[in-house]
Amino acid sequence: MTTSRERVEAALAHREPDMVPLDLGSTDVTGMHVDSVYRLRQCLGLDEPGTPVKIVEPFQMLGEVKADLLDVLGVDTVSLATPMTLFGFRNENWKPWTTFAGTPALVAEGFNTELEANGDLLVYPCGDRSVPPCARMPAGGFYLDALVRQDPIDDDMLKVEDNLEEFPPISKDDLAYLGVEAERLAAGQRAVVGEFLTGFAHTNFGDIGAVPGLELRHPKGIRAVDEWYMSLHSRHDYIREVFEAQCEMALANLEKIHDVVGEVVTVIVTSEADFGSQNGPLISPATYRSLFQPVHAKVNDWVHTHTTWKTFAHCCGSIWRLLDDIADAGFDCLNPVQTSAAEMNPEALKSKYGDRFTFWGGGVDTQHTLPFGTVEEVSSMVRDRIRLFGDGGGFVFNTIHNLQAGVPAANLLALYDAIAEYRCYR
Amino acid sequence: MVLKPLTDSVIVGDAKQAKALTEAALSEGLGAPIIVTEGLIPAMGVVGHRFGCGEIYVPEMLLAARAMQTALSVLEPLMSASEMASRGTVVIGTVKGDVHDIGKNIVSIMLKGSGFVVHDLGADVAPERFVEAVREYRPDIVGLSALLTTTMPAMATVLEALEASNLRGEVRVMVGGAPVTEDYALSIGADAYERDAGSAAERAVRLLSSPDEGAQSV
Repeated sequence: MTTSRERVEAALAHREPDMVPLDLGSTDVTGMHVDSVYRLRQCLGLDEPGTPVKIVEPFQMLGEVKADLLDVLGVDTVSLATPMTLFGFRNENWKPWTTFAGTPALVAEGFNTELEANGDLLVYPCGDRSVPPCARMPAGGFYLDALVRQDPIDDDMLKVEDNLEEFPPISKDDLAYLGVEAERLAAGQRAVVGEFLTGFAHTNFGDIGAVPGLELRHPKGIRAVDEWYMSLHSRHDYIREVFEAQCEMALANLEKIHDVVGEVVTVIVTSEADFGSQNGPLISPATYRSLFQPVHAKVNDWVHTHTTWKTFAHCCGSIWRLLDDIADAGFDCLNPVQTSAAEMNPEALKSKYGDRFTFWGGGVDTQHTLPFGTVEEVSSMVRDRIRLFGDGGGFVFNTIHNLQAGVPAANLLALYDAIAEYRCYR
Repeated sequence: MVLKPLTDSVIVGDAKQAKALTEAALSEGLGAPIIVTEGLIPAMGVVGHRFGCGEIYVPEMLLAARAMQTALSVLEPLMSASEMASRGTVVIGTVKGDVHDIGKNIVSIMLKGSGFVVHDLGADVAPERFVEAVREYRPDIVGLSALLTTTMPAMATVLEALEASNLRGEVRVMVGGAPVTEDYALSIGADAYERDAGSAAERAVRLLSSPDEGAQSV
């Protein structure tokens, strides 16, 4: 009998296993909003009404995907990560909280908030309310967004170190934690996905979600989103120096992580930087090649030389024009395969890049079909995507990015019913 | 003549140069409206076109928008309301629950650079605030932005609020943002949808020059 780990490994080797592997919740970009986790657990009868769900990734409000849910859905992956969050506090000492939609949840002790007069929710770096907040969720909203904390920039005074504060060496305690966790997960049968980006892998060059430095009490350097994008063009050499220094720290940490987790890991999330908008790339191919590709290639080369791990690039949006260059950087897996964006034709993607990438995503459209489509539309899209992307292997089923809030219960059930119905190769 | 170099400085996104050349144009005796129509509007036309056809990308677009804004901030105090609103008036904002504003900001600057007076209400704007702004500014166009599938339905709420306030007939409503589609625009009764900032400004011009121009006519 094929184990989940073997199933994922076969798919990554571009061979057809017994069935298309399924991921849910192994990374920060293949999870599910807490409102939807709660709804799904209730629909499946896994919890009594009112049973809270832990929010394991508080920036995007991702809910915990516990082992019982993995079992019921037939998920083949499991996450290896430290309890560190993007806000610099750890997922520990849980306390009750309720989302704006009314979902009972648990949040970490450090998730300290304040409500503004208009009902907006403010969150603080490291949970420290003595400094200005770093993120805001509009009243009634579903996610947090970074607040602009950008000091005026004097180009003559700008120091590369200012944009490197959030990339510390991994501590002995965190390494020990990962070692114990790896041993625990190795005893199971699921493929282990290394999600080390939050806090320690540092290979996430220029991810716009991380640029504001949510965990920093007083971020320095270039932190505003628009200023960062402009800097890719106007401060090209500065950004290149940031990435080169960041890459050195990333490789040093990866080496230490590899020493303690070894080959338990099947695939490691290497980059979560988005290069695509709805209509086309955010940056030019030339900018990708000059700034990002060299460090991506360096990381991928290191992983492929020193480990058996595969590498995983998350990159939203319309990136067809960048895919040759992203493939040349050496990534093994591409996520989320946003076929709802311009130029991202699924047939063309499989035909041109099916041999170069394992498509880890692309299973169903989360922008339109899943929240707003009919049960039949959800089911037929799942069927078609499994047949298309699954052909010859090279496919791990996942929704296109995290499954968002606001998906009707019937569509949630239709999604997983369709996966179960169509995922078998034989 | 400094207007051609001014145009070029905006196109390449050199804000310092754009400011200096705007001031030079004024000191040569050119009027602010001429500098806008012959120096800045052509630049936005080029930038919008290049962005729309993939010759430039977000970093270059943002730099051009900032250069444009820098030049406009020199000129705006020198222009009367009617001179600034050569094309019309727009109220724009990101809808309630959504704090994403970079795309909306670019559209806003492109509209200004195309000769509109723009009242930017910011992000996370409640429907009643749009209604207030329509009463206050009497715009020709209301522009709505949403980046999230979860906030896109708030566009329909704004349209309903305008309807309930008997203001819907007085404005054209344009919508845009990542999850928004032409079909969605039609379904909520918006007048126009555009997929990017460059074409949004062009569409706004057409929307006012042709009474029949709307989502239905695309």
